[in-house]
Amino acid sequence: MRRTPQPMTISETNTHQASFRDPSGYMFHDGETLRRVIHPIYFPQYNKLKDSGFFKTLIDKGLLIGHEETSASAENIIITPEKIPFITNPYEWSFEQYKHAALHTLKIQKYALSKGFILKDASAYNVTFHKGKPVFIDTLSFDFYEEDTPWRAYKQFITHFFGPLVLAKFHGTEVFKMMQTHIDGIPVKLIASMLPGKTKLSSTLYTNIHLLAKMESKHSEDYKAETKVARLSKKAQSNILESLFDYIKKLELKEVTEWGNYYDKTNYDTEAFTAKKELIKSWVSPLQPKTLIDVGGNDGTFARTVLDTVPHVMVTDIDPNAVDHNYRTALKNNEYNMLPFVCDVLQPAPGIGFNNTERSSLIERLRDYAPDVTMALALIHHITLSGNVPFEKSAEFFSKFSKHLIIEFPTRTDSWVESLLVRKREFINHFDFYREEEFEKGYNKYFSLEKKEAVAGTKRILYLYKNLEHGG
Amino acid sequence: MYFLYFDPGLGAMIVQAVVAMAAGVLLFSKNVMYKVKSFFGLIKEEEDTYDSIDIDEKDTTTDDHKRD
Repeated sequence: MRRTPQPMTISETNTHQASFRDPSGYMFHDGETLRRVIHPIYFPQYNKLKDSGFFKTLIDKGLLIGHEETSASAENIIITPEKIPFITNPYEWSFEQYKHAALHTLKIQKYALSKGFILKDASAYNVTFHKGKPVFIDTLSFDFYEEDTPWRAYKQFITHFFGPLVLAKFHGTEVFKMMQTHIDGIPVKLIASMLPGKTKLSSTLYTNIHLLAKMESKHSEDYKAETKVARLSKKAQSNILESLFDYIKKLELKEVTEWGNYYDKTNYDTEAFTAKKELIKSWVSPLQPKTLIDVGGNDGTFARTVLDTVPHVMVTDIDPNAVDHNYRTALKNNEYNMLPFVCDVLQPAPGIGFNNTERSSLIERLRDYAPDVTMALALIHHITLSGNVPFEKSAEFFSKFSKHLIIEFPTRTDSWVESLLVRKREFINHFDFYREEEFEKGYNKYFSLEKKEAVAGTKRILYLYKNLEHGG
Repeated sequence: MYFLYFDPGLGAMIVQAVVAMAAGVLLFSKNVMYKVKSFFGLIKEEEDTYDSIDIDEKDTTTDDHKRD
């Protein structure tokens, strides 16, 4: 439904920081709402995409984020996309998530091709996770297909998706963090140099990476664009997409982490496990949260105890395998309100890109997300003892985005804490401050204590804190 | 002529002809293998979390009819 056209004034200061590269239009903040302006240069594409039912099919299928047309005039069209509670970036995805985002992009490109369109860019930032699965969020990424032309976003697909995934197969998912330092994907030459020699024997890897790197360096001097670009039939382009799809779909990881089977190695029994779950449930319910984040939440075991009552739940962990496990579980059980992602609390994702504002830092995104409840279970001893972070410092970190904080403090007699302390060897006395009283002192600077209870059958204490900034 | 806001990389545009050829050969041989295997009844149905590259349009409105 189209409303009466209303001219909209958009102040320059409200434009979205990640939205300046594409001349077709940009995103801006209209109060709390994020809207998208479309310039006349993109009207022909937009109207064709809309009128042919292309948008509708992709949106109905849940492949593209839905939007409604808010206003239309000769100067611009404004659309309002469906709100996404939290945007995760490629360097915060687990292997399976990254893989699905790549397959998702290929799927959309292949469909677009069949309808006479193309994806004009294949940036990994055009995909994020929403309602338990990947969704394409750049509505203006489509353009008309010109007969017999190669896919202009092909190289971008390799540097953003294919390269990082293949590298992860050989080097583990740590390589996804390279996306933080290379906002336009990992350079082809670098990908090629990091792959073992035997990959030249694979026709897919040889052509898509090694040969591509060779061709790129050969033609990098062509400033006048004199060389003829090869012709490529639609069928041939479809073949590229299909073979990439098949290859990526089969990709698997071979890395094992310390945490993969964490709950098989916990130091408390089933009874204590249940007691902890019950305690969390009884503390979360009265708060009636709309949003909740479990920091260091492993595979989402504890977050799942409240999943049926909280509309949006995020679980983040340093271990990509645990996140992977969580993501698969959410997919299998159709848990649309679960969003898993990878994060190292000791070095959360910074703001990157132009002006350092193109992609916001994790803390900024969490601040905007403003979870009603933050959980940090069995995490503080890692932050404090492995990261040497004073209590006051970690309290400050949580206070930046938390209203209510449920935090578990394993005492010095807890076996995990003991083993972390023993590893300090001759410096063990430097960590005498790791005590209940010191912990409370540090946290009281930013939070007021609401509840405190020992977890039955363990050597751990659970605290419920309220942020002093939130009328605590 | 490209109205582009980023450089697609000339090498990347040229290389696609070769990439497509290799992909074509690979897909063709895969299909042949599949046919041979299914002839001998060797196809195992695998559990799949991510379906195929193709979008099934049967249950949505087709593009040919514009809906008002």
